[in-house]
Amino acid sequence: MLNYIWGGLIVLSLIFALSSDINDFARDTYRNGTPLPVTVSFPNEYDSEARRQDVRVRLPADVYQAHFGLPQTVNLAWDGTLVQNEDGRELRFASGADLPEPLATLCARTGDEDCRGPTAGDPTLGSWTTAVAFRPVRWVKMDAIASAALDFAETAVTLALGLIGGLGLWMGLLKIAEASGMLHALVRVTQPLIRLLFPQVPRDHPALGMIVLNLSANMLGLGNAATPLGIKAMQELQTLNSNEDTATDPMVMLLAMNTASVQIVPPVLLVAIMGLQINQLFFSILITTSLSLIVAIVAAKTLGRLKRFRQS
Amino acid sequence: MNIFQLIIDYASALVLPAILVGFPLYGMFKKVRVYEEFVEGAKEGFNVAVMIIPYLIAILFAIGMFRASGALDFLTDGLRPVLAFIRFPAEVIPMAIVRPLTGSGSAAIVLDMIGQYGEDSILVKMAATMFGSTETTFYVIAVYFGAVNIKKTRHAVPAGLIADVFAMLAAVYVVLWLFG
Repeated sequence: MLNYIWGGLIVLSLIFALSSDINDFARDTYRNGTPLPVTVSFPNEYDSEARRQDVRVRLPADVYQAHFGLPQTVNLAWDGTLVQNEDGRELRFASGADLPEPLATLCARTGDEDCRGPTAGDPTLGSWTTAVAFRPVRWVKMDAIASAALDFAETAVTLALGLIGGLGLWMGLLKIAEASGMLHALVRVTQPLIRLLFPQVPRDHPALGMIVLNLSANMLGLGNAATPLGIKAMQELQTLNSNEDTATDPMVMLLAMNTASVQIVPPVLLVAIMGLQINQLFFSILITTSLSLIVAIVAAKTLGRLKRFRQS
Repeated sequence: MNIFQLIIDYASALVLPAILVGFPLYGMFKKVRVYEEFVEGAKEGFNVAVMIIPYLIAILFAIGMFRASGALDFLTDGLRPVLAFIRFPAEVIPMAIVRPLTGSGSAAIVLDMIGQYGEDSILVKMAATMFGSTETTFYVIAVYFGAVNIKKTRHAVPAGLIADVFAMLAAVYVVLWLFG
């Protein structure tokens, strides 16, 4: 199943990226080869000798609309620089974060932080109407998926390495808990309840204790502790597994319960985002998470019996 | 006063220190060689982290590509008419799709929606409920199964996704019922 989903994600990204780029091609979204008309004025009078001078670049809404064929209501204007030498003139202007598409992409592709492109014609004293020839833009989405793949591969390593400290700490503490008999006591107290969900795990097995700790950490919203505890529970369940690379029923159950997330306290990140508003959401989150937990448990139980997913 | 902030503050201020001190203390009381045991256990942390790297790379790069391809817009447009049928608002479709894929991505969507519709809006309540009541399914699968080298995940993905789809629908209707 994961094979199909994984492959599907990759193939779908290619299809979507390709169709989006071909659509750009067909619609000529970026008006490749057609310079963008702008009006340039010189605050300090035009100086034909100066290599660089300050300018004010204006792009009226109707011109933008006519050029790109997209609705635009705001007149755009930027402070910029006119660079001139023997080879010609180049116009540079600051590309702020508020540029409308497709101009934003055009600018992003010109190299540095500013929008830049060669201009034709001779500047006149007052206001000079010219056009900026941007570098042609093609295959935007194809480039995007390729660089996203690399970025996320790096993110994966950063994430995993970031876990080392927390993992080490919790696994060390759990080892003490095991050696001191604490875990065993926890297993004995909770197993009548927890073994209803994990009947395949033998009585008094330490995996039950890890599962209880993992689920409690989840409920309290202690995400940083829940992951190491869940991993430890998986390791304990793996000791009961006769087929090393295949998940067992209890493993799938634990995973389903974790992905459905049994949270009484919402995740720290959400509390930070929502501020005081989060208080109103206590019941909606509690009801939703409880319902989805029940669905996850039922799904894990019933799907495991299907022939397709049965353990061979 | 923010109740949850209070609970979180207390949980991290009391529960965690209680465990950090309590476990070794109880161990000492039981005559366990606490330092030796701790180091023995902590050794595993590094191995586990390294072990999950290939699984995380596989999952995250596929998700990264998927997000960058603009597939989200296509899917939102495609699902809009179907979901309009069951009163599922189109504005929260991106959240419902992204939530099982990435945690940071879905947090960004909530922030975005707050900027667009305001904290009080019912749409933000739906999105936040979705965020709070489910987990990043694919990340959890990669980390938990990666740590024990499980490659054949059997019904874990469908079970997780069924619960996710259900949670997304439930979030909308529960919020409509409570606040609508």
